[in-house]
Amino acid sequence: MRRSVLNVRLSIGTLALAAIAVVGIGLALYRFFSGIGAVSNLNQGYPWGFWIGADVLAGIALAAGGFVVAGLMHMFGGERYHPLVRPTILTAFLGYLLFVVALMVDLGRPWTIWHMIIYWHHESPMFEVGWCVMMYTTILFMEFLPVVFERFRLDRPYAIWMNAAPWVAIALLVLFTFAMTQSVVWVLAIAAVLIAFEWLIRLGIIHRDPRMPTMLLMAGIIFSTLHQSSLGSLFLMVPHKLNHIWYSPILPISFFVSAVAAGVAMVIVESTASAWYFGRKVEEELLKDVGHVLTWAIFFTLALRTTDLVLRGVGTELLVFNTPSIAFWIEALVGLIIPLALLLTPQFATSGRWLLIASLMVITGLVINRMNVAVVGITSTYGATYYPHWIEVAITSGIVAAGVLVYLVICSNFPVFAHEHRRPAETPELAAGLAAHA
Amino acid sequence: MKTKALLIDLPRCTGCRGCQVACKQEYKRQAEKTTFFGGPGYQNPADLSAETWCLVTYNEVLVNGRHDWVFGKRQCMHCEVPGCASACPVKALEKLDSGPVIYHREKCIGCRYCMLACPFVVPRFEYETWNPYITKCTMCAHRQVAGGIPACAKACPTGAITFGDREVLIREAEHRIAGNPGGYVHHIYGMEEAGGTCVLHISSVPFEELGYVMRVPRSPMVAHTEPAMKAVPMVMLGLATVLGASYALRTRKQRDNQPAESGHIS
Ligand code: SF4
Ligand code: SF4
Ligand code: SF4
Repeated sequence: MRRSVLNVRLSIGTLALAAIAVVGIGLALYRFFSGIGAVSNLNQGYPWGFWIGADVLAGIALAAGGFVVAGLMHMFGGERYHPLVRPTILTAFLGYLLFVVALMVDLGRPWTIWHMIIYWHHESPMFEVGWCVMMYTTILFMEFLPVVFERFRLDRPYAIWMNAAPWVAIALLVLFTFAMTQSVVWVLAIAAVLIAFEWLIRLGIIHRDPRMPTMLLMAGIIFSTLHQSSLGSLFLMVPHKLNHIWYSPILPISFFVSAVAAGVAMVIVESTASAWYFGRKVEEELLKDVGHVLTWAIFFTLALRTTDLVLRGVGTELLVFNTPSIAFWIEALVGLIIPLALLLTPQFATSGRWLLIASLMVITGLVINRMNVAVVGITSTYGATYYPHWIEVAITSGIVAAGVLVYLVICSNFPVFAHEHRRPAETPELAAGLAAHA
Repeated sequence: MKTKALLIDLPRCTGCRGCQVACKQEYKRQAEKTTFFGGPGYQNPADLSAETWCLVTYNEVLVNGRHDWVFGKRQCMHCEVPGCASACPVKALEKLDSGPVIYHREKCIGCRYCMLACPFVVPRFEYETWNPYITKCTMCAHRQVAGGIPACAKACPTGAITFGDREVLIREAEHRIAGNPGGYVHHIYGMEEAGGTCVLHISSVPFEELGYVMRVPRSPMVAHTEPAMKAVPMVMLGLATVLGASYALRTRKQRDNQPAESGHIS
């Protein structure tokens, strides 16, 4: 018999992850005594480096699967994607928590992060980013709660949650609108639309989804759309530093579409990997459908980037042989062109293995893209240079490894995968609770 | 209130570094251990730092066929619409009507976005401590409030640094250039850079030869992010409407036979 901890079996893989996590977290703690200078190569000319590129920009984009699946499924009727909802919400939630941990390492004075709640500056893209993180993490937490309710058979709280969650979501959206605009008109407009929608559901004029309040999913989609694009907006501030292969007024939009593609690719990789790890059968048919979505997402990203480059007249610069243009071509070939070609070739497109390879390429390409924007494409004046310190990489790896372990623990102990779901509306308490408030 | 400014008349600078020392003294910033570095070797230290907010740069420039030292001054430019302040999520950086861009250290979360956003690469970060802050020139706002003038301007023995109303100083700069067309290049650095700044420089040689940052947009930095930020509520309203409507349309059928459907899972 194999040994296990918290139902996660001890293997070379999980032990290696644990070792990486311990080293990384130890180094991260050391940073709180020594200052950022001692554990990184960040400097006065390059205040942002590997951590921003990998943890913040790429990490958040890879967590996009959560809202893409939710969007496909609840808004556009992809009922067949339902088995993917819980695992992707879990990954997105964990992804965001990891990101917050990573941010604590990168911020100079992380214990003051809550200042964003009391000192408002709606002109700043960083303010939008910060608020999106807070809001969307809260929404993801609420979206994940049913798993906990089912696990511990908390039917009463489950019923209360079903009724209260939409109002909490509306409250967060309205508060966010006020923080971003400080305009009563906008607050009223958005509150009116949201409340009207929820009312129509309560009146039975619009269908009420018994599994998850639609308002919660809508809030998740709105916040993550804004969050993905706001990470691009951050770099609109630096026309003087970012190479214009990447600097474009549509940065927020291209960050959003590429995040959708990467999020979908993550769903494929994650489903394949967890099926393999937990010894289940891969949902081949389902993943093939997801593959179609991926094809479209890559196609759209590629078309948008190409149009943008051509319209801004950057085309010829890509033919010059220098670091930025090479970095661009690696990103475009690995992340967009080759995977698109693979997915459009019939014999590859129908193979689960090639679908996985294409997805991995899209993910790699996205990480390279975000690194290019955060580091490679940035030119600083006065001769500053930057190359990541090994400790920077070790800390990020440690945080990611810890995240994978937590994912395994949760999947091994909670009803995350479809076949383990209970039927909440069939438990008498819940049904009664729902009826009482309907 | 009239906006105050500093006019730096570089040809009058003798490179004595009196301003650099006065600034350090005023703010009790630590001395730095420096080493001889390649390039303009008499310049010391090599760059602005968390401890050095005012730096006289030494540039070897070809003037009339012979090499000459030409000095520059580096410090915060006190932009009219500062990129650093537009970037800061918690309003730790603030533009005062009187000119200075000041830093409220107790608000700062240490995200360093201001450093990225500043077109003149000015804000510095204390990388070597567990409780770091941003540091930069304050235009001696506290001295101004008390009726004084910035320490660097006070210390300058040759009149290379003049403190006064921005409008008056712009006229003065134009006057000096017009009065000595051979002695100055026709460029007031800071009049239009980044939407205008409260530190104005005039020089006898083109500013790029003094290592001044030339890739500075004419518009304030915030003009580049404003459209995206303005779009936020529109995106929210649009998404809420489209998502809500598409959901309502899609689930029309389910609503009609709701009882049979509810409770159905995967
Ligand atoms: S020069 Fe830089 S630090 Fe100074 S006010 Fe302008 S943007 Fe801010
Ligand atoms: S580092 Fe501090 S001052 Fe600079 S943008 Fe961040 S919070 Fe504001
Ligand atoms: S204005 Fe004050 S803080 Fe700024 S460089 Fe001069 S002495 Fe230093």
